[in-house]
Amino acid sequence: MEMLLSTTISALQMGLLFALVALGLAIIFGVMNIVNFAHGEFLMIGMYTAFLTATVLSVEPLLTLPIAAMVGFLLGIASYYMLIRYLLKGPMIAQLLGTFGLMIFLRYLAMCIFGPDYKTLEHGWLIGKSIKWGPVLLSYPRLGTAVLSLMAFGIIYWLMDYTRFGKALKATALDVEAASYMGIDTENMRGLAWGLGGATVGIAGALLMNFYYVFPTIGMLFCMIAFATVALGGFGSIKGAFLAGLIMGLIIDLGGTYVGPQYKLALVYLTFFLVVAIRPKGLFGW
Amino acid sequence: MQIRTLKDALSFGDLPASERIGFILFIIFCLIFPWIIKGGFAQAVMVQFLVFCLYGLGWNLIGGYGGQVALGQAKNVGMSAYTVALLMVRWDISFWASTPLGVIEATIESFILGYFLFRLRGHYFAIATIAVSLVWQQLFINWNFVGGARGIELPLREPPNFIYMRFDSDIYYHYFAFLLVMLAILYMNWFRKSKLGYQLRAITSNEDVAESLGINAHWVKVKAYCITGVFAGMGGAFYTVYYGYIDPFSVMHLELSIMIALMTMIGGAGSMWGPIIGAMILIPLDRYLGAWLGGRGIIGVDFMIYAMMVMIISAYEPRGIWGIIEKARRKR
Repeated sequence: MEMLLSTTISALQMGLLFALVALGLAIIFGVMNIVNFAHGEFLMIGMYTAFLTATVLSVEPLLTLPIAAMVGFLLGIASYYMLIRYLLKGPMIAQLLGTFGLMIFLRYLAMCIFGPDYKTLEHGWLIGKSIKWGPVLLSYPRLGTAVLSLMAFGIIYWLMDYTRFGKALKATALDVEAASYMGIDTENMRGLAWGLGGATVGIAGALLMNFYYVFPTIGMLFCMIAFATVALGGFGSIKGAFLAGLIMGLIIDLGGTYVGPQYKLALVYLTFFLVVAIRPKGLFGW
Repeated sequence: MQIRTLKDALSFGDLPASERIGFILFIIFCLIFPWIIKGGFAQAVMVQFLVFCLYGLGWNLIGGYGGQVALGQAKNVGMSAYTVALLMVRWDISFWASTPLGVIEATIESFILGYFLFRLRGHYFAIATIAVSLVWQQLFINWNFVGGARGIELPLREPPNFIYMRFDSDIYYHYFAFLLVMLAILYMNWFRKSKLGYQLRAITSNEDVAESLGINAHWVKVKAYCITGVFAGMGGAFYTVYYGYIDPFSVMHLELSIMIALMTMIGGAGSMWGPIIGAMILIPLDRYLGAWLGGRGIIGVDFMIYAMMVMIISAYEPRGIWGIIEKARRKR
């Protein structure tokens, strides 16, 4: 029972991070119906950014969040204006393989610069600390990640629902032509959607760096989890991504504990299949 | 009917003269290659080029003509390779008897998967094929009967051995692979004039319109996917005897699927010669550059170059190098 409780709590903490990773994917898909295969690589770059600023400049890892968010934002903007804009004109196969190319490019760029080794951060306010709360052991990095993910979600939610920018973005997602008649610069909106997606995943990377190791091919793993999350929540839905992230965390951690750690990922893919087979639009999709 | 099929497969009459000349030059080049270039590395690259031609021609069916981004080609290759290897190692069955079984296995697997996965469209389909191939790879890594992560090694036999296809020189493999590629090209030549070919292209340009014309899109896609499985299966069987060793990281790896798709895309997906052009550029580049950079301890630059090529191609000319050639031809 105690084990179930502590696993569930750690699963939900992890789930919030998965939700944050999936959020960027959901925003990008929602605004322009394109799947970003390079999303996991954006996360990887966020992690390396956090790692480099924390080690080279010896900055506290938590304070690297804004830098990682900035790098993610610029990366998103750059990929939109340099690549995605042109891909959107082509057939779907070109869109898919184009972002696929971006993924491979970023992955091997990281491989080239950092080498294939695993890297972790060893010093920081949160790293390696934990607190005993009743029967449950709470680890600080995961707790901090959960809280900050929640905050990031809150900010994005506010941005989407209560600002002019969010409304313009939603209008672009619903109907590009009508939105441009209303005087919305849809081209910029799409670029900003990529920037926003990149920024959220950059933050997720910087948070993840507090308790996880980074290596150049880490992207695929989180990318597949994010795809499964977004499919479960519904492509393009922020609420869906949040809820599905929590469910995904539960599936992965509880499955890893009670079925066997080697079947964790198989469970993720199984969920993905069940979702696309039974309810292809996901929980909140449209 | 049969004679008509054969005539369709063998006749290249509807192609422009330049393409026919190119094709003949390609055949001559492949035939005399082992006799003019004696280097072991060059010959090995050539065999790999032919194998990738086979994969690419197969993938072109579903990915090019069909417009479905199936990124699970490696698992079809792996299924067949494992079947052949297991039959040859555990029951001593000859290559010629185990290959059909391997190909059938890969085809059945494609059929079952295709039947379910083609209920999905577009992005969902692509992601699902990736997920399936990752699951298969995990399964084979953890499955001890097939050797787990260590893989399977074929027993050494006295070369040359035609029953188990064991030779000490790449020349034999070269001609065998060339034969397979020629069969594949003839098949594709028939395919592009066949009913299935027209139906598939109709689906690619607009699925809803194709369905309203009475084409059962789901069934056509499943059929095409099965044929892709046959090609991959043949490639996998050949791979097994060529290397004499397989493991889940060489034949089941997602990178193989990616490579096949990128190669076809660069050459020109949905065209007759696209996969061959793609393989002609990418495989020698990959092997020579990989060897050259690997010797200097630089990893990853080769993949970055293909990624750049794919990004540029998908952004500016989604029909690949073949698309550029056709454009130039039309202008003239």
